[in-house]
Amino acid sequence: MLERFIHHLRVELPPDDETADAARIRLREKFPRQAVRRMTHLGLLVGSALDGLALGPDDALVYASTFAETCALEDFLTSFPAASPLLFQTSIHPSAVQQVLIGRQQPLARLWPLAGRARLVEQALLTALLETSPRVALVGGEERGTWMLAHAMASPRSFAFAALLTPDPTYALGRLSFTPENPAPPAAPCPSLEIFAQALATHQSLAWRGAGGTWVLSWS
Amino acid sequence: MHPPTETPPIGVAACACLTPFGDAPATVAALLADRRALALTPVLGRDGGDAVPLALLSPMDETLPPRWLPDLHSLALHLPAAPWGHARTPVVVTSSNFGVGSLYAFTRDHDTRHLAHGTPFATVDFLRREFGWGEHVTVFSHACVTAHLGLLHATRLLHAGLADRVLVFSFDFVSPFVAGGFHSLKILNGTFPAPYAARETGAIGLGDGAAFAVLTRDATPFRLEAQSLHNEMAHFTANRPDGAGFDTCAVALAHAARGRRVWVKGHGTGTLEAGRIEATAFARHFPAAPLVSWKGSLGHTLGSCGLVELALALAALSAPAPKIPGTVGTTGPCFTDTVALAPFAADTFDAAVLASNAFGGAHAALLLTHA
Repeated sequence: MLERFIHHLRVELPPDDETADAARIRLREKFPRQAVRRMTHLGLLVGSALDGLALGPDDALVYASTFAETCALEDFLTSFPAASPLLFQTSIHPSAVQQVLIGRQQPLARLWPLAGRARLVEQALLTALLETSPRVALVGGEERGTWMLAHAMASPRSFAFAALLTPDPTYALGRLSFTPENPAPPAAPCPSLEIFAQALATHQSLAWRGAGGTWVLSWS
Repeated sequence: MHPPTETPPIGVAACACLTPFGDAPATVAALLADRRALALTPVLGRDGGDAVPLALLSPMDETLPPRWLPDLHSLALHLPAAPWGHARTPVVVTSSNFGVGSLYAFTRDHDTRHLAHGTPFATVDFLRREFGWGEHVTVFSHACVTAHLGLLHATRLLHAGLADRVLVFSFDFVSPFVAGGFHSLKILNGTFPAPYAARETGAIGLGDGAAFAVLTRDATPFRLEAQSLHNEMAHFTANRPDGAGFDTCAVALAHAARGRRVWVKGHGTGTLEAGRIEATAFARHFPAAPLVSWKGSLGHTLGSCGLVELALALAALSAPAPKIPGTVGTTGPCFTDTVALAPFAADTFDAAVLASNAFGGAHAALLLTHA
């Protein structure tokens, strides 16, 4: 069995109609003034979720986002033929995490940006459980899209979460485990990234089968 | 300081790639002949723009179905038979572009059929249907080190006993989206790249590329002996000027490579500052190792470059009387005297370091060994 324990945990679930500008005002105290002007909505939410979580150069970070930097992508596409260099670099996965960690000047041993959909949560958790660093930040999030949302290519809601996973059960908030089974059981639906974020926010337990085993999120 | 390599060795059961020169052996032959696939091409394809060096498998303008699909089918013909995408035989797809050219095409002609492969998840769902893969397909996207992440994740799955074989599949095809983006950063301009050359102006080229590797715990002639990742997080597009990021990544492999005779395939895109820092760092950690880059011929295949260039290294080493292609496109003077401009015989070496870098000061490298 693979397991890790949840320590730092912070979830951002802003109102559906929150804009990047509104988030910038709401969260401005958390970021350097020069940086906050250029941060995306997702970058702001990820930064807020990571607020208070000190990372070190030997730590790893697993970052899950299906749609990633939707608004920068939308704006970059409409900037042609005069393509915007700022929007180009901001649109590239995993920009949201980089906005935060470059602002902090915080090196990491490994950064694992995932970009799937149906089994994204399970794959991010497996990536975290296989990490050799004792401290792994599990981060995820989305930002609400505009014209891409109309074509089901963006998230309808903005959210973000950050959890510190370690092997230490002492004072842990919760536990994530994966128990491999042989033969591999049939996979059941995996929680979506948004459902997983809500479960983190409300300390709701989850269990499902996939990746050849059983997954459990439980709380202390 | 990071620990030395944190994964045990893993076997490479199969590996292949596709570039504008053809498959891996054909590409190696072209590199050995000092040929350049890059050609000056309008940066926005049919929409025009400045001529920039691109190495394309087909005209860059997106088509329906996407222009990369026939090429990926061609590459997939070489895949070993297995129920790919199932729990014991998962797939890891790595790319920095996926089908983003289709999004660009959609914004031009508003044909919603492009959207079936415009985002990473849609592209991978599309590939799953095309190739009959199951649902255990993990998707990584970390700019130009992405393929290395796929290889290390696959290694970990195997060593944890969670998989029997893992397919790492990578592709990046140039589109006006990405060419326009790099052109806006001024590093994709009208000049051909000359990796590690000490010259006035830096320049990169971009190239189409696709590759796969099947990793296994079984004994194989070629092994990924060690893998290393590091993220500087000092600047969005630049590296730390003191080379600390390169050092951190290289030192782990230097430790694993002790006692071996090594050559180095660097990232070497053709930018000046990164090229200087990289060449200097490798000369410091591998002072006897010749350093090459192949991006002066093939262009930068972005998130796939780590896997495309692994396939080329394996093809070069597997040839009769194996020779390693030199740094095509560079004539010197170079940042260090370790830069190999001409091909060299591989039989005096028993290992290679293959490295890639990415935005955010991301560094990745692996140690490839062979019997």
